[in-house]
Amino acid sequence: MPKFVLNGEEIEFKPGQTIIEAARDYGITIPHFCWHPSLSVSGNCRVCLVEVEKMPKLVIACSTLAAEGMVVHTESERTIEARNAVMEFLLINHPLDCPICDEAGECKLQDYAYQHGVGESRFIEEKVHKDKRVLLGPYVMFDAERCISCSRCIRFCEEIAKDPELTFVQRGDRVTIVTYPGEQMDNPYSLNTTDICPVGALTNRDFRFKARVWEMSATKSICTGCSRGCNIEIWVRNNEILRLTPRYNPDVNGYWMCDHGRIDTFKFVNADDRVDGPHVRREGKLVKAGWDEAYSAAVSELKSFAKDEIAFLGSPHATCEDNFMLAKFARSVIGSKKIGFMRKEDASFGDDILRKNDVTPNTLGTEIIFDSYLKPTLNFNGILEAINNGKIKALFVMEEDLAANNSEIENILTKLDLLIICAVNFNKTTALADVVFPAAAYAEKNGTMVNFDGIIQRLKPAVATLELDRALDGMAMSRLDKFGTHYDRWAQGKKRDARSSWKIIAALASVMGQKMKYDMAEKVFEEMAASIDVFKGLDYDKIGESGTKIKFEPAAASK
Amino acid sequence: MPVRRRQKDLNFWEKIYIPEIAKGLALTFKTMFKPKFTMEYPEEKFIPPPSYRGRPVLVQEENGEERCVACGLCSRVCPALAIEVQAGETDREKERYPERFEINMLRCIFCGFCEEVCPEEAIVMSKDYELAFTNREDAIYGKDELLVPVKNLNERINFLRQYK
Amino acid sequence: MNYLEIIVITLVKILIIFTIMMLTVSYLVYFERRISAWVQNRLGPNRVGWEGVLQPFADVFKLLLKEDIVPLVANKPLHTLAPILALFVAFSTYAVIPFGPDITVFGYKVSLVVADINMGILYVLALTSLGVYAITFAGWSSGSKYSLFGGVRASAQMISYEVSMGFSVAGVLLFAESLRPVAIVEAQSGWMWNAVLQPIGFITFLVSAFAETNRLPFDLPEAEPELVGGFHTEYSSMKFAGFFLAEYANMIIASALIVTLYLGGWQIPYIELLGLPSWLTAAIQVAGFFFKVGFLLFFFLWVRWTIPRFRYDQLMSLGWKVMFPLSLINLVWVAVLIMIFKL
Repeated sequence: MPKFVLNGEEIEFKPGQTIIEAARDYGITIPHFCWHPSLSVSGNCRVCLVEVEKMPKLVIACSTLAAEGMVVHTESERTIEARNAVMEFLLINHPLDCPICDEAGECKLQDYAYQHGVGESRFIEEKVHKDKRVLLGPYVMFDAERCISCSRCIRFCEEIAKDPELTFVQRGDRVTIVTYPGEQMDNPYSLNTTDICPVGALTNRDFRFKARVWEMSATKSICTGCSRGCNIEIWVRNNEILRLTPRYNPDVNGYWMCDHGRIDTFKFVNADDRVDGPHVRREGKLVKAGWDEAYSAAVSELKSFAKDEIAFLGSPHATCEDNFMLAKFARSVIGSKKIGFMRKEDASFGDDILRKNDVTPNTLGTEIIFDSYLKPTLNFNGILEAINNGKIKALFVMEEDLAANNSEIENILTKLDLLIICAVNFNKTTALADVVFPAAAYAEKNGTMVNFDGIIQRLKPAVATLELDRALDGMAMSRLDKFGTHYDRWAQGKKRDARSSWKIIAALASVMGQKMKYDMAEKVFEEMAASIDVFKGLDYDKIGESGTKIKFEPAAASK
Repeated sequence: MPVRRRQKDLNFWEKIYIPEIAKGLALTFKTMFKPKFTMEYPEEKFIPPPSYRGRPVLVQEENGEERCVACGLCSRVCPALAIEVQAGETDREKERYPERFEINMLRCIFCGFCEEVCPEEAIVMSKDYELAFTNREDAIYGKDELLVPVKNLNERINFLRQYK
Repeated sequence: MNYLEIIVITLVKILIIFTIMMLTVSYLVYFERRISAWVQNRLGPNRVGWEGVLQPFADVFKLLLKEDIVPLVANKPLHTLAPILALFVAFSTYAVIPFGPDITVFGYKVSLVVADINMGILYVLALTSLGVYAITFAGWSSGSKYSLFGGVRASAQMISYEVSMGFSVAGVLLFAESLRPVAIVEAQSGWMWNAVLQPIGFITFLVSAFAETNRLPFDLPEAEPELVGGFHTEYSSMKFAGFFLAEYANMIIASALIVTLYLGGWQIPYIELLGLPSWLTAAIQVAGFFFKVGFLLFFFLWVRWTIPRFRYDQLMSLGWKVMFPLSLINLVWVAVLIMIFKL
């Protein structure tokens, strides 16, 4: 491989790499605003200027190709002087908005101003004033004064979202960004621009002013919006999810995630209609009950049915662990093979960027588990039919709103004698249930999910529940969480009385007389890996933060 | 600075110590009849100088709005984590305002860092020192207790401008 | 007098003295706080009652209502015994201190001392030595290193100063040729006070008395800056109050003892020349006794706010290298006086 000298050290590079890319691979970050590894090079911010020996002037590292024998200095006197000058120039018209700017704390301009800024401005004239609150689309808010014209957002819309919507207008210090006439910035990936915007010019309207960056804890998890399973970070303050941001994973989602996943997949966790504590139907009404009470109610009802009359519905929204426990419960406690799950396809949702038509996050995992562990005798439609015929009288549903927007299924469900359900929120199905167990949402539990591509990925708890303690269970903690006591309002948050579905099912099995002792999701996964070939040899450490591809039969998934 | 005298430098009367004790006793006896400095508190109130750091308060502008933009710097710099801020959006020019601003006076250590870090001169240390509560909830001061009209705080604000 | 009368009279005397002691002790605390405030240009407690005179009662109520905290590692019987012992020693010493001449009440001849025993002074020395046990027990049984240091310091300090104290008393005894406190007082009639005749003995006894009562400048056993609270660090509520009362009761005893041994007891020089009726003379003499004790108590407080605390090694070297030889010199001086002037 060819080599060049960077700051006195000889480093290798791949032919065609620019200086900034080669340096990044080597572990040296050259300051940059407009350059982004997955966008084209525009070279307009000029902060990545480096000194290359035998070149008359400084060159920008982002568009200069590395060449054999080149000698580059990123920390020489000339480079630093140039960088300081560029920073001073960029800061001339940048407003002192940091106190009211959401980007503060994760702002490139702020960071570089600390590292490379001269500390004070020689510019005594009034700064240029531009529009401050411009709504570019449904979610993206634009502040023209803060913009440093790096054009990252424009390039993102053209190259990644494939929907050119933005452009520069005017010149000099009046330059600003607008949408094309008659257009809105409404592509399904628009909020990624708020991530890549190096300043606070583009901000997320949904998250606007909710919290400062440093007040939140970030938990590495995955998005449950569709079967892509984009890697995300869950940002939590005061036990409430405030935003989701994409996390780099080249095999799954690159740097991006869609607006649907970012906006619509966490609010139900914070919602007021969460099932908080077990509920049992008494005199026609669902009333709150204790855990032991609910367990024994469910078990005594279940025992009154023959095993042929009981069916189970798993969920592609639940984790592999939850579905495995349900299958195990069906097989070894009840002795039933009537298990299925409801698929959800939305032909209008998918695209060829990230979004998939299959809108449930764990379809493949659920399918593999049910098919290889239980070999069900009835599938989802078969179970519904059997309920309709009166052959199945009791149904155990896990984390699925069957009746949502489907009055046909709602009618079928009313024919049941017993409906036990583990649910995250109250919904149309829980309204029909006899026993409702509060299930932990995806952000409240450990677990794994398999995406459409057969990559198994980890979910990690970001929100504490009554049984899951932030400190004791090793969850991500912000400074507020670390130092708060239960006398501090900012550290209390609302904790729901919810448990992972696998825990609820294991407890039910114990009440039925079959001891199932698992103290954590990892143990369930271990047993699952031992009993299902596809998962053989896997554990949570091997899955890691970016997931592992499993060996599965494509035939099973191609349906 | 007084010269330190070693034991060998002392004269006989100083060495036997008793006359020195007598001198000391005479001094303390005289002091007993001097005027007292005690301030009889509930009747006589201490009026602090502008440099005094009493309970932190939020500045309320003349139009009744708070100056604070809820940037959260006071909350971040507070070594005792006494301050909690929740920002909200408004149509005012400043865009941002504190939807909730709470100072836990049980946690507050009156260090004045919040005042020092505030970019808007919106939180200042007042002269209030009478802070007593009968339960923990009362000790958490919300916006209604914290907002003080700017005209009552001018002395401190001028002091800060002079010395900060 | 039959036994019943003797018992009744003695009980009445005990009751009177005990009441006076308790009141004096409480008000001593009050005066200590006021005087220390005045010395520091402050006002001191002046809120409870007129000029704060009810402050002692408020303090007692507060202490009674406080929780009694006993450390987990404490030796509980000893921990409880220590303050009781301290109080017992302090109060029982008072039995032999005479505070007036014999008087006649309702036809009974009553001596103004609870127990006029022959070896009264030995009794006092014995009991005050017992007092060190209270402090040592307290220090040891608390199971805290600060308490232990305080207790050890107290025992070392008290043993050291008891030596010079004993030798000083020996000088007094040589004059009086008796161990009976009443006889000692009577031997100091006129201006023949021991303080005048043997000033060195007076000073050594005074200094030793400060050390024995653990008062500043010799309050090493409870030196706050080094030992938190010394031997009573781990005490709270009324047990703490027990030590507190004992300390002040000890001050009263020390003062009364100094008055008895060196300042002529109830004797007022030349009062018999005034030709007053005998009951009035007796009353004036009793008042004189209390005045002398009162002045010495004030002196205790006054010294506390004047002289800083000694370092431990200074305390020891003062005790053994200065006070002990001085008390011996005093003994020689008294012997010389007796031999030459045939006093």
